[in-house]
Amino acid sequence: MDNLDLTVAPGTFHGIVGPNGAGKSTTIGMAVGLVVPDAGAISVLGHDAIRDRASARAVTGVLPDGLDLPERLTGAELLRYSAGLRGLSRAAAAERAGELIEVLGITKAAATPLADCSTGNRKKVGLAQALLHAPRLLVLDEPFEAVDPVSAASIRRVLRRFVDGGGTVVLSTHSMLLVEQMCDDVTVIHQGRVVAAGAVAEVAGGIPLEDRFVELVGAETGGGDGLAWLVR
Amino acid sequence: MSAVLTPARMRATMFQRSLREHPGPAVAALTGLLTAGWLIRYGVYGNPHTLSILAGTWVLGWIVLPLMLGGGRGRVRPSHLRLEPVGSVPAAAGLLLASAVGIGPLVSLVALASLPVHAARYGFRGVLAAGAGALLLWLTGLIGSAFALETIGHAGGPVGAILTGVFTGAVMGVLGSVWAVASWITALLAGPPPHVVRWLPWFPGSWPLSAATGSPLRTAALLGGLVAIVVGFALAYLLLVRRSLVTGASWRPRRAPVSPTPSPSPSPARTGGRRLAGGWWGPGPVWAVTGRELRTWGRHPLRLQYLAFAVIYGALLAGLPMVADANLLVPWAGVFTALWAAAMSAGLVGLDGTALWMPFTTPDGERAEVRGRALAWLLLVAPIALALTVAGILLTPEVDPLPAIAVLPAVLGAGATVPVWVSLLRVRPVPDPRHPTSADNPTDIISVLVASAAGLLAAAAPMALIIWGPDGLRWPAPVLGLAAGAAMWAGGAWLADDRLATRGAEVLTAAGRRTRPPETPIPLTWDAAWYRENRATAWALILLMAGWIPVIPQGLMVLVLDIRGGWIVASHFTGATRTGTAVAMVALGGAVLLTGLVLWGRRPRPTA
Repeated sequence: MDNLDLTVAPGTFHGIVGPNGAGKSTTIGMAVGLVVPDAGAISVLGHDAIRDRASARAVTGVLPDGLDLPERLTGAELLRYSAGLRGLSRAAAAERAGELIEVLGITKAAATPLADCSTGNRKKVGLAQALLHAPRLLVLDEPFEAVDPVSAASIRRVLRRFVDGGGTVVLSTHSMLLVEQMCDDVTVIHQGRVVAAGAVAEVAGGIPLEDRFVELVGAETGGGDGLAWLVR
Repeated sequence: MSAVLTPARMRATMFQRSLREHPGPAVAALTGLLTAGWLIRYGVYGNPHTLSILAGTWVLGWIVLPLMLGGGRGRVRPSHLRLEPVGSVPAAAGLLLASAVGIGPLVSLVALASLPVHAARYGFRGVLAAGAGALLLWLTGLIGSAFALETIGHAGGPVGAILTGVFTGAVMGVLGSVWAVASWITALLAGPPPHVVRWLPWFPGSWPLSAATGSPLRTAALLGGLVAIVVGFALAYLLLVRRSLVTGASWRPRRAPVSPTPSPSPSPARTGGRRLAGGWWGPGPVWAVTGRELRTWGRHPLRLQYLAFAVIYGALLAGLPMVADANLLVPWAGVFTALWAAAMSAGLVGLDGTALWMPFTTPDGERAEVRGRALAWLLLVAPIALALTVAGILLTPEVDPLPAIAVLPAVLGAGATVPVWVSLLRVRPVPDPRHPTSADNPTDIISVLVASAAGLLAAAAPMALIIWGPDGLRWPAPVLGLAAGAAMWAGGAWLADDRLATRGAEVLTAAGRRTRPPETPIPLTWDAAWYRENRATAWALILLMAGWIPVIPQGLMVLVLDIRGGWIVASHFTGATRTGTAVAMVALGGAVLLTGLVLWGRRPRPTA
């Protein structure tokens, strides 16, 4: 990262976009304590995320991308484990886990060892554990990757209700359409720096966000030349 | 034709690369060739029945050992050809040809040459028959090994894992008690007992030498039997390859789905009308991690393998000396089991991949992670170790149980937390935490040594009191053992806490590093400039290869097999001097190998 400065307004849905290797996952990792920055400050809902990690963690729910889960546990056992880690009472854990399993449609995944679950179901179980302790900030890395459209719609509805209730969602994604549909604000990261940030419409500047994104990161879309042997 | 040859070329390239990057294959080749050389020498003068048993056991070892020692790595597998337009017959032929490239097949071929060498005494026809039989045994080993690796080696099932642990534990237990079973080995080398000889004709390993001495009809029947075994294995392998190529599925045992609502437990967690899935876990973050760990111990194939290994190894190491009327170690079965269980737990974080992120995103999660792991280990190992100790004491009432009783709590305390710290210090992730195979082993020798040393250190205090304390004051030794165990628990927990608190992100990064960092390539031909620039690596290679000579032929083979020869230093002496020289040779070789390992660990690595 290179002097990254990112502000997320509480109670909003904030998208982080950028090309592969731009630093999206590193940014998210730093915000939740999985990556230690060389310098700088991180504040999560008023808590110093570097010096007072416990307070910041207590209000944050995380769904990382590409990290393993306790693979020998079933989805239900993962939720039980997560509830225990967070010190939730048995009554609250039972109530919430049951509801999340129902709403996210993971009854089957809840009974299957995570090692044998599909990527989409793993995402949904991961999202359930991120929501279980009712955080005020949700940090989601590629939450809709490999999730079927019906489940994605349910998840979007849950997240929208969460934001409407005063919660904050930060998500990283490659889908500009998702950002346009769901996010209030967007930050575009390129080569470890913020190249644009603000309300989605403002950043898009009157053109489709995808076109604006290609402009901002200065990428040339290839594929127009060569390969004569393929296209005949 | 190219479909048959291409996998062999792929394998040759991978093999060449592994030779260039690591001394392991060269060391294995040297050790294997030394053993094969001894077998040929035994073939010249030895007993034919014993030679048949040794040859058959060699082939069996060739099939079984790669399952435990990571033989699946660097192999060309049927799944690699899944997208290629290759028929199953040429694919199977090509894959088997590729399997023939490597150290195991080469060394086995040399070892099995002991059969025609022995048959030379029966004339040309004998050599021919034994040679053909040896070749067929070699093919049995080659195809059997490929088949076993593709089925059991990649299956990762709990039963296979436990059996692997039992087998390795038994092998290590017998090797560790070799002084006790030496009389059996000596008797076997002189010739097996009559009841074994009676059953030997049913053992395919004996068929090549029987073919060398039998009538032409018997020779044809015995060689025909070996051909049938080879064809049987080849057909089974062909079916396996066809299944992999056609259906795209490798063989994997069915996993029974886990019930979402577990069977009724003593205290079903029923709250507010909704049942809490996942069974009983206990309250709070530490118990959450403990619950996760206990379930993982019960389901993870490698953890089950390690536990089975520790129990069998510990029990045999303590119990086998009874064969030689040495009962002193029997009450120590529990201590040994706890010690090995701790050593085998020194790489568990690597087995779990990056799953550590969950406690890292939870308030005070690191502390819960350390204590939960330690508590789960203790809950699992302590009852087993205690039961073995009690059984040992009951079996040998004439042996003073105080030392074992005093040391047990010390070893348990150290074994619970120190391996957690070690596995956080030296994270070696498995390639696929979701579906690990028995070929994956995230524990390295240094981690094992540190984890074991902690147990020994904890045991030192109560043992010192028992050995050097005044007679009347030996009885508090168990209390001292308990205190030493508690102190080691606290020390290990403190170190692990500190590691996670200050280097958590570093641990997580290491746990996610699935590809190896680039290695220093070792030239396969003489390159003076390279050796000048890489003196440490060159010395490491020399020491790692030369160190086996004092250990095996100069030491162990003298002690165990009583071999003699002009170049065997110990054979120029007799009695205690001879034994002392052989033991000194083992120690010298061990020191040379250790120095080689240290130098190898410190070799400069190229920048990526």
